[in-house]
Amino acid sequence: MERIDNLFYSFANRSSGMIDPEGIETLCSDMEVDHTDVRILMLAWKMKAEKQGYFTLEEWRRGLKALRVDTVSKLRKALPELEKEVRRPSNFVDFYSYSFCYCLTEEKQKSIDIESICQLLDLVLGSQFRAQVDYFIEYLKIQSDYKVINLDQWMGFFRFCNEISFPDLSNYDPDLAWPLVLDNFVEWMQAKQS
Amino acid sequence: MVLHKFGEKLYSGLVTTMTSHLKEISNSIEAAQGGLFLDELNRKWAEHNKALQMIRDILMYMDRTFIPNTHKTPVHELGLNLWRDVVIHFHAIQSRLQAILLENVRRERSGEVIDRGLMRSITKMLMDLGPSVYQDDFEKHFLEVSADFYRLESQEFIESCDCGEYLKKAERRLNEEIERVSHYLDTRSEVKITNVVETEMIESHMHRLVQMENSGLINMIVDEKFEDLGRMYCLFRQVSNGLVLIRDVMTSFIRDTGKQLITDPERLKDPVDFVQHLLDLKDKYDKIITSAFRNDKTFQNALNSSFEYFINLNSRSPEFISLFVDDKLRKGLRGVTEEDVELVLDKVMMLFRYLQEKDVFEKYYKQHLAKRLLSGKSVSDDAERSLIVKLKTECGYQFTSKLEGMFTDMKTSQDTMQGFHASHGSDIGDGPMLSVQVLTTGSWPTQPITTCNLPAEILGICEKFRNYYLGTHTGRRLSWQTNMGTADLKATFGKGQKHELNVSTYQMCVLMLFNDADRLSYKEIEQVTEIPTSDLKRCLQSLACVKGKNVLRKEPMSKDIADTDTFLFNDKYTSKFFKVKIGTVAAQRESEPENQETRQRVEEDRKPQIEAAIVRIMKARRVLDHNNIVAEVTKQLQSRFLPNPVVIKKRIESLIEREFLERDKGDRKLYRYLA
Repeated sequence: MERIDNLFYSFANRSSGMIDPEGIETLCSDMEVDHTDVRILMLAWKMKAEKQGYFTLEEWRRGLKALRVDTVSKLRKALPELEKEVRRPSNFVDFYSYSFCYCLTEEKQKSIDIESICQLLDLVLGSQFRAQVDYFIEYLKIQSDYKVINLDQWMGFFRFCNEISFPDLSNYDPDLAWPLVLDNFVEWMQAKQS
Repeated sequence: MVLHKFGEKLYSGLVTTMTSHLKEISNSIEAAQGGLFLDELNRKWAEHNKALQMIRDILMYMDRTFIPNTHKTPVHELGLNLWRDVVIHFHAIQSRLQAILLENVRRERSGEVIDRGLMRSITKMLMDLGPSVYQDDFEKHFLEVSADFYRLESQEFIESCDCGEYLKKAERRLNEEIERVSHYLDTRSEVKITNVVETEMIESHMHRLVQMENSGLINMIVDEKFEDLGRMYCLFRQVSNGLVLIRDVMTSFIRDTGKQLITDPERLKDPVDFVQHLLDLKDKYDKIITSAFRNDKTFQNALNSSFEYFINLNSRSPEFISLFVDDKLRKGLRGVTEEDVELVLDKVMMLFRYLQEKDVFEKYYKQHLAKRLLSGKSVSDDAERSLIVKLKTECGYQFTSKLEGMFTDMKTSQDTMQGFHASHGSDIGDGPMLSVQVLTTGSWPTQPITTCNLPAEILGICEKFRNYYLGTHTGRRLSWQTNMGTADLKATFGKGQKHELNVSTYQMCVLMLFNDADRLSYKEIEQVTEIPTSDLKRCLQSLACVKGKNVLRKEPMSKDIADTDTFLFNDKYTSKFFKVKIGTVAAQRESEPENQETRQRVEEDRKPQIEAAIVRIMKARRVLDHNNIVAEVTKQLQSRFLPNPVVIKKRIESLIEREFLERDKGDRKLYRYLA
């Protein structure tokens, strides 16, 4: 416990008592992992970190205890195992929705701008649903109806990736109450294909 | 003999004797020549009947005892049966009788006169011999021959007649057949023979008749041939799918012509005329349905659905209908009796019922009503209120509450002005008279508040009013809508002639400047009055560029107003009239961008209504699937407008985002209400 705390304080900002973005960058370079790596987001999920770019002591303890590590090198070695855990379907939905909420930085913010959504999609779903993510990002960037994406639409896209045969979209049923943005996306895909 | 057990002998003797006697008779009938054949048959039949009666009387005892016990045929019936078998079914007679009867019918059909009495006696005989004799020996053949006859005749008619003429002939034939039955056939034959005529003359040709070039259904409708249409309705009603055919052809014709009317850009230039056309069209079809189609409900429904279909093809219909009402209530109803006013309003309401976007109508109606009320241009307060009542009955309280609020404001303002003049009348003296209408924000169409600098004389009295009003109504805020007002100015021109000028508030502001100056540049006017540029240009244009109303002169002279123009008081102005009304150049019909703007406002106004409907439904149902929500929302709102399913979906998503609803975790079609 003490070692976990000590490790925390070695990265924490003295005045705020938290690990701030700068601290996280130091942590990442110590672990020799890029700070935009998806595994850092997974680590945040494991800690149940609330604020983007910050770890509190409580969150740090929760994460590191669960991973049973107390040094940087142990933490680094635990990352592949963590990734496996997250990729398990039961955890992945939770992680996927967490990754959206993690990006809500402002009070009462409920949606995320298209630019950030595209990056987040690429990071979180890119390895699993490459084609869907690429097309969806392309669509989001050229359309003008939506400037932001909300949680419902975000979750809708994940369900879309899992359920809809791609790229033929043969089992897409518009009557099934998909978020409108996906109806439009499918329409766009179909127009593009024909 | 019966008593002595010789009943059997007596009975068989009767049969033999009668049979041989009848054989003789049938021979003598057969021997009758040509036309006498029927007479002979008839006479012998009468004799036989008489003889039969006597035989039955003589053998009454046997008839009563022996026959019932041995289950034999009674004497009278036996006599008839023998007549049937020996005489009528005697091959030489049977076919001849048939041929003669049918020939007589044919002759009568072609216009000859035949002995109907004899025909009746003979058919009566056949009927007396039992229904099957009548049917097999006559009716069956009669119907077959008739079918052939009418098949041929209708073929001939349809080649040579137009539709109206053909129907007349068919109707005559039908009546003839009915008459024939009443004269000398069994009444049960009537249905059968009319069926034959209807099938051959109507059903086999109905498509050709309806679509007949230059005289078919469409031509009858166009030329309003009520009698022909009525005949067609009556005849077609008798055959299966006849009326469906008429209705379908009529419906598609109404839809097509309606569609043409409603998309004709020439027609749309004059909204009042356009709506009048719709009303005339409706009148025309109403008349056809009442006078020719017997007020058939299914036809009325078809008419209504056709109108609903094409009126909504043009998104500007609500605006035009409101403009039509506006026109009527401004000037069209002057000198018209109260009943006629009601009639016009009722007709308008009927068109209103067809509208899907009733909320758009409301929006325009409010705008037009506001203009009428504020400019005092409405012809009849009663007519105005009557229409509001009609709208209220049709759409409910919430639809008209704001419209009614406008009337209330007008009334209250009158009282307020009376109070104001009573308390301030003395210290106003010779100053300008002020009349203010205090309008409740929200009840009236929203106006962008554009202020201008009022002349000092006006400003003073406006301040007095403000103080008076706020003195009695604390906590309210008054803002002047100078873009809506009017003013009457007394002006004296060069040769001392006086005129009263009826102008808008903006025009008044401009003209008042010329009390102190003869010559002002555009820039000077703009600077002093601060009237918004587009309004100022319009108002100067109407003061300086309209012939007969040009109380100002413009330098240089041209149609349009430029920033560099200079304006002079036109002291050479003359007019035959003492009162001169100077209108602003204003468009009646909305321009395209204005229309877009109104559309957008309507769309915005619909959002909260759709959301409210969704929440109402979900609050009651707690859990519901997407398609059902869409259906219910549409149902709830259809009295005002037809919500677009995509828009409903958008609103649902917005409610999910705001956590009024959530998606069901398992079944993704379902939404749950979050209390």
